[in-house]
Amino acid sequence: MNHTFPPSVIAEIQERAALGRYAIRGLGARRAVPSFDDLLLLTASASRYPLEGYRERCSTTTVLGARNASQPVVLDIPITIAGMSFGALSAAAKDALGRAASEVGTSTTTGDGGMTPEERSSSKTLVYQCLPSRYGFNPDDLRKADAVEIVLGQGAKPGGGGMLLGQKVGPRVAAMRTLPEGIDQRSASRHPDWTGPDDLTIKILELREATDWRIPVYVKVGATRVEHDVKLAIAAGADVVVVDGMQGGTAATQSAFIEHTGIPTLAAVRLASDAIAEVGADVQLIVSGGVRSGADVAKALALGADAVSIGVGALVALGCNDSAYTAESGERVDVTGDYRKLKVLPGDCAHCHTGACPVGIATQDPVLERRLDPDTGAERVANYLRSLAMETTMLARACGKSDVHRLEPEDLVALTVEAAAMARVPLAGTSWIPGVTG
Amino acid sequence: MCGIVGLHLKDPALEPQLGALLSGMLAQVRERGPDSAGVGVYGPGGLAVRKGVGDPVALAEEFGLAGMRGHQAVGHTRMATESAITVEGSHPFSPRPGLCLVHNGSFANHATVRRALEAEGVVFDTDNDSEVAARFVAHRLDRGDDLDKALRLVCDVFDGFYTLLVTTDDEFAVVRDAVACKPAILAETPAWVAMVSEYRALVGLPGFAAARVFEPGPEEVCLWKR
Ligand SMILES: Cc1cc2nc3c(=O)[nH]c(=O)nc-3n(C[C@H](O)[C@H](O)[C@H](O)COP(=O)(O)O)c2cc1C
Ligand code: SF4
Repeated sequence: MNHTFPPSVIAEIQERAALGRYAIRGLGARRAVPSFDDLLLLTASASRYPLEGYRERCSTTTVLGARNASQPVVLDIPITIAGMSFGALSAAAKDALGRAASEVGTSTTTGDGGMTPEERSSSKTLVYQCLPSRYGFNPDDLRKADAVEIVLGQGAKPGGGGMLLGQKVGPRVAAMRTLPEGIDQRSASRHPDWTGPDDLTIKILELREATDWRIPVYVKVGATRVEHDVKLAIAAGADVVVVDGMQGGTAATQSAFIEHTGIPTLAAVRLASDAIAEVGADVQLIVSGGVRSGADVAKALALGADAVSIGVGALVALGCNDSAYTAESGERVDVTGDYRKLKVLPGDCAHCHTGACPVGIATQDPVLERRLDPDTGAERVANYLRSLAMETTMLARACGKSDVHRLEPEDLVALTVEAAAMARVPLAGTSWIPGVTG
Repeated sequence: MCGIVGLHLKDPALEPQLGALLSGMLAQVRERGPDSAGVGVYGPGGLAVRKGVGDPVALAEEFGLAGMRGHQAVGHTRMATESAITVEGSHPFSPRPGLCLVHNGSFANHATVRRALEAEGVVFDTDNDSEVAARFVAHRLDRGDDLDKALRLVCDVFDGFYTLLVTTDDEFAVVRDAVACKPAILAETPAWVAMVSEYRALVGLPGFAAARVFEPGPEEVCLWKR
């Protein structure tokens, strides 16, 4: 039964009492929050007509950042790979994500640790992050990027800085970040160049000048005061706003942050798209945090997103939480024992912070790293992204849309009163939108 | 779901018969739209729009359609889909002097287009999806586009299934969506151009036997100008 002090809470208190520290882990929030699962699409029937999948077009082309950039980002699908640092992930994992994204015509993103030459060459379209930590940030790599993403925050830890435990600060990671090897790293939560939209305006201009106004500037925020933050990002000059909801993944964050800060992606997407509409600017919205399926993508687009970004889903496609990895010989090698050493089972692992990833994804250990074959990994992630795009167009066609970007809030209803209020769509079977129609 | 008829006269000798001819055509699409009906007649005094709720044939009589004269007329019989059966929600929609739009089909993204138009200051009378198309065309004409350009933009911007007959004081235009599955039959003789949802609505027109009968292609704008 659920009560104030169930065994899990007792165990947490006992751990804190014994060690005098807080819990840290990876991936996203594990509590149940209103989500895209609480929405349903109203597909066509007699009053509207569906489109045929085998011969009637449904476009997925997505253009981002055309308002200021001479070379906007043009993607074949509205699904991108989120920023995940080299350091948090192995070089092979970054390489595989880049190859998969290139294969399906979408972008991938660097992370809190800089750009590796491998990911630059494997990613056709690469977004370069500019973070408070400034790890690995330099003008040379900036000019090699296809877009720059200023990170004000992440959904998993809005207001918090990065974290990379010593076991993952190997020689290459340490060199890229100018850090001592093997020492726990906690990075800044605030960039020294800006504290608000006024200084941010100057930073954005600086980045534009350094790149000759060629590439779009994204601003990423963790979803908290979304309406204000989106409007301020636009006022500061952002071409694209990335809003990461509280379910958003991470490689290592205090669990108090993961579970108790920010707002659900479902609420964030509607606030953000309404804010953009209110300003009336030609600014695109990318939404992330718990996007897993084509149904999630379709619902996010219907609520006003131009694209989604995926972190954990892509890692799972790579092999995260798999009970085995595929050796060079093609043989499947069971690693349940390695999960057990982390006190978890395959399917329930969120131990990216340890660097002891049993499948070689979230690690810098040369032995573990070899468990991930980038060729197989890239193929699996590409398959995953393709299937998401197919599901999205299937649902869009069933709603009568010749373009996935024409899904609209009126195509949705909610299963719960909470979701109806957050997404501002009617409760299924009623015309009631709590807070809007009474 | 709806019936459309339209007649554009090239031969002025037929002008006294315009209302009678259109009334005969309208009766042939009665079953396609039993909920409400409306007509737009371009007569000596300019465009007159009449609409009502109920049986199209009874309404045509109430409007005195058979006695009307002019150079061009459109008629619509409506079977409502998602919006209310009211006089305001009946076609034609005429949001700009001289403009008439009638629609058969349903749009799949009209809520988004409506919001975009509202953001530009356009005001709506109804929750009807066809009004969105009519206001869109009016807005483009206000912005200086010609009718051909405005209808091409309709194809770019709207999703869904539609046959539209759009008229101005001197133009008569038909356009269909990319799938082109809602009926639209055009017929042309040296004396007139007609557009109907059902073939049988054409056969009573004078000289029909010699008419060129054809269907507009997907996203093809067919336009006649006086
Ligand atoms: C392993 C891992 C590493 C991450 N590293 C970064 C990072 O360096 N910079 C950043 O802005 N976000 C980082 N994120 C967050 C993602 O960019 C993204 O916001 C989040 O994963 C989206 O939620 P999802 O994982 O539910 O798809 C990371 C996420 C994961 C899972
Ligand atoms: S399997 Fe690896 S990538 Fe997945 S949660 Fe565990 S440590 Fe992280």
